[in-house]
Amino acid sequence: MMPSIRIALMSIKLVMRTKVALFFTFLFPLIFLFVYSGIFARGNPEAVVYMFGPVVTLNIMGSGFFGLGLQSVMQRERGSLRRYRLAPIGPGSMVLSSLLANYLLELPTIGLLLFCAMGFFHMPLQINLLTLLILVTVGTFAFAGFGLTIASVANTMQEAQVYNNVAWFTLLFLSGVTVPLPMLPQWIQRFAAFLPATYMVTSFQAIMVGGQSLFDHRAELLVLILSGTSGLLFAWKLFRWEKEEKISTRGKLLSITFIVPFLVMGIWMNERGNLAATWRGTFSLMSHPHLGPGQHDSPVDGIMLNDFESADEPEVLLKTWQVSTGANAGGRSLGEFEVITPGAAGTGHALRFKGFVESTPGFDRGFVTARYPFTLPDGAPSLRGIQFEVRGDTRLFQVKFMPSDPTLPTPTLTFIPDSEWQGVRLPAAWIATSNPSSHKNVLVLEFRVEGPPGAFQLDIDEIRFY
Amino acid sequence: MSNEANSAVVRVEGLRKSYGDLAALRGITFEIKAGEVFGLLGPNGAGKTTTIEILEGLRQPDGGVVTVCGMNPGREQAALKERIGAQLQATVLPDKIRVEEALALFASFYRESASIEILLEQFGLAEKRRTFFEKLSGGQKQRLALALAMVNNPELVLLDEPTVGLDAQLRRDIYALIERFREERRTTLLTTHYIEEAERLCDRVAIIDHGQVIALGTPRELVLRSGKGTRIEVSLAKPVSPDRLKQLDAVSDCLEVDGRYILHAQPTALAVAALVRFLEAEGNALLDLHIAQPTLEDVFVEMTGRRMDDQ
Repeated sequence: MMPSIRIALMSIKLVMRTKVALFFTFLFPLIFLFVYSGIFARGNPEAVVYMFGPVVTLNIMGSGFFGLGLQSVMQRERGSLRRYRLAPIGPGSMVLSSLLANYLLELPTIGLLLFCAMGFFHMPLQINLLTLLILVTVGTFAFAGFGLTIASVANTMQEAQVYNNVAWFTLLFLSGVTVPLPMLPQWIQRFAAFLPATYMVTSFQAIMVGGQSLFDHRAELLVLILSGTSGLLFAWKLFRWEKEEKISTRGKLLSITFIVPFLVMGIWMNERGNLAATWRGTFSLMSHPHLGPGQHDSPVDGIMLNDFESADEPEVLLKTWQVSTGANAGGRSLGEFEVITPGAAGTGHALRFKGFVESTPGFDRGFVTARYPFTLPDGAPSLRGIQFEVRGDTRLFQVKFMPSDPTLPTPTLTFIPDSEWQGVRLPAAWIATSNPSSHKNVLVLEFRVEGPPGAFQLDIDEIRFY
Repeated sequence: MSNEANSAVVRVEGLRKSYGDLAALRGITFEIKAGEVFGLLGPNGAGKTTTIEILEGLRQPDGGVVTVCGMNPGREQAALKERIGAQLQATVLPDKIRVEEALALFASFYRESASIEILLEQFGLAEKRRTFFEKLSGGQKQRLALALAMVNNPELVLLDEPTVGLDAQLRRDIYALIERFREERRTTLLTTHYIEEAERLCDRVAIIDHGQVIALGTPRELVLRSGKGTRIEVSLAKPVSPDRLKQLDAVSDCLEVDGRYILHAQPTALAVAALVRFLEAEGNALLDLHIAQPTLEDVFVEMTGRRMDDQ
């Protein structure tokens, strides 16, 4: 262990003496932070919180691939490993020292990123420092494994660069590191579930933006630890001191097993079913501060209107949600509510509005309406509309956001949901001028299914102002 | 220095190694006694580096028996590395590592290590202790490589072409360092393709060619064993058959190497007189003539028909 520590400390000292290495270790990540926060997030602190995870992931990826992976191959090609080989130290010491140096260089960089994000962009610290440390540690370990595996498999620098670039650009563009996942096509989002950078980015965002805990992302962390461990083992078993030594075909085939944890994780994430909605949920939270405990279960206090997470939700439902059917149909249409599990965006529960549409005599159509009255929360001047997550059968639904003042216009939207959760936004500029203190200021959110006779089902969750 | 004063520190018997179809070593056998400076002399590609790297445990032999300090280099690498010091043909260190840092770092890998201060003084690196590796001259880098080989105060030192690429002055500096090893009774194996180096530094020499030991003994023994008398090297205006020169009085042998003729003769004066008479009779002319005592080069030429520096 001691030789590893000594080599690692020497490696850090050497980085500190090399201008190019210093630039790529400390300054380059800051450039990304300023680009992401200043240009993509436009300096909005809540958006900077969302961008912080991708910036950290990008930095960790870079140090794993180019700092660790390419350095290992370069040292081998340059012949500087040969001198170490004459000393009584083995491949394990060399691999561990690389890992350690990479990690010890990563920590101050992340600290610097955090300091700048908070200092220059007023990013709220929506993550426990211990949680951040654990995420960074696991991520650094995982991508070090990735870089070391590539270094083990590549025979030359050129070969390593080809492997690195293929992995780098795939992770860069398809895992939410540069383009937010909800902005990518559905099939790419499904593919993203197979990429380790996705686990880092989405865990960061869910914890920092969505207020989730590390435990909620234990599967992702486990896969990252597994990939780091297997990378370390490959690097140790396939370690080569000399550039003349070439990796055997058996060794190359063995290294392919490195992707097994990602395959399993990707299949599992896709099978869970609400992948895209989960990511979209975090994305939609980007412009809103996370609510503390106790805030979310009140329909009128705060930004969250209703997320159906309260323990006494079934009773509340009966009091607050109302069903009405077409009077001309003699009340033959049916509508009812129930609380279902799980909800959108990885939450515990959602509301299910389901029933049967019966046609009005003499017509071939009918309707059922669900109404949700509420009063305007404080902070209305900064609000611009209402949003929610929906999924359901592919019938035509309509949603209205009705003001208390009948002279004001009623924003209305017609939509056809599908089996995946998706966000719907209903802009209502008059919220900003409404008076929240008035008891008469009761607003109504109305969902309506209208059409030919038949069953219907609409799941609703995460109703909030934006 | 060694606990094995009367025994062989290195034993090599029937050592074989191939790289694909190329047989680099074809059954090499030799022994190095404690306190001895032993040289592996041969042209490039003869198998010297392969031999020394097998002794260092860096390569696995295909056949034969190798014992270094009583250990098998392939199986007991960690223990062996504590007892040997090695200098590679080309030592590459990180550009930004300082001389004293390199010595301290490598010394820290061993259970027992020499004083860094003493090494800096002994190898003439004290003034360069804070200098980065990239800023060292070729000679300084080579001295650092030798100092690194000594950080664990080894009982056996393995030096692979320690003076290759250095100018004459730097080579003499390195010779002085190796001569100190002899004074310290430190067993030393060095590979070289410089005749002067082998003759000056080595107690015994094994001449290697095409992966085989073609001669083994002290430099003097080898020269005497050839028994061909004084070496006369000439250049002639017109080519002539070596067989005809071999017929001259007092000449025991003649070889043509690179257009020059190497004659071995005894007594010398008689042979030179016979040569001059022969050239006059043939209408030929003497362009150049060197007379010297025979060297290891002569032994090599005698045994291979080639010069040491021929590829």
